[in-house]
Amino acid sequence: MLPDVTFTDVSRAEAVDDAHAGFVMDEDTFRAFYDRTARGVWGYLARVTGDRQLADDLLQETFYRFLRTTATHESEAHRRNSLYRIATNLARDARRRSLIRAPFSLPCSDIESVPSGDLGGAPERNADFTRAMSRLRPRERAMLWLAYAEGASHREIAEALGLREGSLKAMLFRARRRMAALLGGKK
Amino acid sequence: MKRIECEFEPEVLAAALQARMPEPLRTHVAGCAICSDVAAVAAAIDDARERTRGDAVVPDSGRVWWLAQVRARREATKTAGRPITAIQVIALACAIGLLGACFGATSTWFQAWLARVEASLAGFSAGAFLAEHGLIVLATALVLLLVPGAVYLALGRE
Repeated sequence: MLPDVTFTDVSRAEAVDDAHAGFVMDEDTFRAFYDRTARGVWGYLARVTGDRQLADDLLQETFYRFLRTTATHESEAHRRNSLYRIATNLARDARRRSLIRAPFSLPCSDIESVPSGDLGGAPERNADFTRAMSRLRPRERAMLWLAYAEGASHREIAEALGLREGSLKAMLFRARRRMAALLGGKK
Repeated sequence: MKRIECEFEPEVLAAALQARMPEPLRTHVAGCAICSDVAAVAAAIDDARERTRGDAVVPDSGRVWWLAQVRARREATKTAGRPITAIQVIALACAIGLLGACFGATSTWFQAWLARVEASLAGFSAGAFLAEHGLIVLATALVLLLVPGAVYLALGRE
């Protein structure tokens, strides 16, 4: 007797089997890329959102969406930009959702509460930095982090944040000005 | 016009990141608002970056890949199910249409009724008809509009 297989079942099975074929890279390439970038992306998400737990969730989502992108990446830098762009959009969406749920408070103290091992140095310096970051606009935080923690160029920052490269220099200047004033204890 | 950049920025940035500022550069930074901001912000962010990376506990790459595969499969199953329900609805509509055509072609009673309708339509007045049978017309129209949607939703849920 023939097995009870319909066209529908066959189509479904094929679609399911090919699910990972839609990924932008194979497993080995992905794992190497992930190992190179995951900590940086997590740090970016944690600093931009001010929430470790949220950064954990968004990290998984970022890499999943990256795998499902249809874009072709010409270089490692292009891949990284694409990754940071996805992370930026997810962080922005998460912030909008939290704005709807409750008045937005920046829970940056969450990051501070985690022991930093021997890298910690002066705890008060950490607290000052986090406080200063929390008083910046999310876009300013993202901009400064990409520029000074990730060493991204103006073009790369503009690409990741969806801004015009031409206006980035002035925006970065203003964000840096504010951050320096906050770090120096000035309003 | 207000200056927003300084030619020494790259050097100041590099020196701030290495935590080693040569004396001439230090003198420049002391007198340049832009470079002093760069030095302060870059040093603070670099320090925070080291701490954040040290604290980061990211899941293993193999686990992330596996979870992505599971999720992609689940989404593929859902997507594969969607066009099939649409095809089923179209097939049902075709079957109903075919049945109707066969009935119309073979039923003498239906053909006689159709001829009567045709004859009566000669003196047909839409206003008078609607005034007399408006409720029935409205109910029929509603059924015709709602039934396909209900069928689609019912099959979609399966």
